[in-house]
Amino acid sequence: MAQLTWDDVTDGQEISIVEEMSSQRLVIWASASGDFYQIHYDDSIATENNLTGIIVHGALKGMIVGRLLDEWIGDDGRIVKWGVSYRGMDRARMPLTVWGRVTKKYEDGGRALVDLDVGVKQQDGTSETTPGTATVELPRRG
Amino acid sequence: MADLEDLTPEMKAAIGAEVGDPVIYEVTTQGIRTFARAVGYTNPVYYDADAARAKGHRDLLAPPGFYGMPIYNPAAGVSMENNTSGAAWEQLYPRRLNGGTEVEPVEDVYAGDVLEARTRVTNLALRTSRMGQMLVREAETVYTRTSDGAVVGRMRNTGLRY
Repeated sequence: MAQLTWDDVTDGQEISIVEEMSSQRLVIWASASGDFYQIHYDDSIATENNLTGIIVHGALKGMIVGRLLDEWIGDDGRIVKWGVSYRGMDRARMPLTVWGRVTKKYEDGGRALVDLDVGVKQQDGTSETTPGTATVELPRRG
Repeated sequence: MADLEDLTPEMKAAIGAEVGDPVIYEVTTQGIRTFARAVGYTNPVYYDADAARAKGHRDLLAPPGFYGMPIYNPAAGVSMENNTSGAAWEQLYPRRLNGGTEVEPVEDVYAGDVLEARTRVTNLALRTSRMGQMLVREAETVYTRTSDGAVVGRMRNTGLRY
């Protein structure tokens, strides 16, 4: 895939991926992150904690936002920072859309930068659980 | 759960202070691959050291946000099931949720790197939620490469306890 350049980016440009959130994936994440809290893989303990069932780890959603950015900017781009708030819970076993939208394109100290709004929403589009922002640096064309 | 009028003196004293001793994180090949797998990466630079070197990296590359895993050792007093970590004042609120994460990558992280993580509480606040009173704990962790002291990344976390 051709390297994305700063010149290619347009204001309002949107990127997204759809992710399956199986219980198995949450267990792989538990192992990867060291977060073994049972509300993410044990429905009975989730219920005891006033939840309706196991929920997706917030940090996993945050890191998938990072992956969306990483895959978009390619080998020669760089993530300056990204962050999300976990405002709502996402039940497991339902696909999630992880998205970004360009809000600003600018140069700062010779660096070509792009700001984005990012987030995670359920497939019905009604629940925006994980809003955030990101800044990436991209190479110039030519 | 607790129901406090205000932060306790212990809580107020914790704001701005480092949390415990620095923690050593090991960045291993298998740690990188398991993280990349869970997050859904397919880029070979996160799975195959030769593919990473072909892209100019010095070893298997860690995906953004991965700073390795702390060393588990029961001799250090860490229990196998570790859900109630934290100071006594944090354990007033036994249940935990993650409120937010911000990652600031500074330098690339590779398999074989050993990092020192220092975490500082940047703010504490009480908040009313539909699940009762919550303690909102903001903290920043700085990851430093032990081989040369370079800061490789910062992570800011908002933790909710209730």
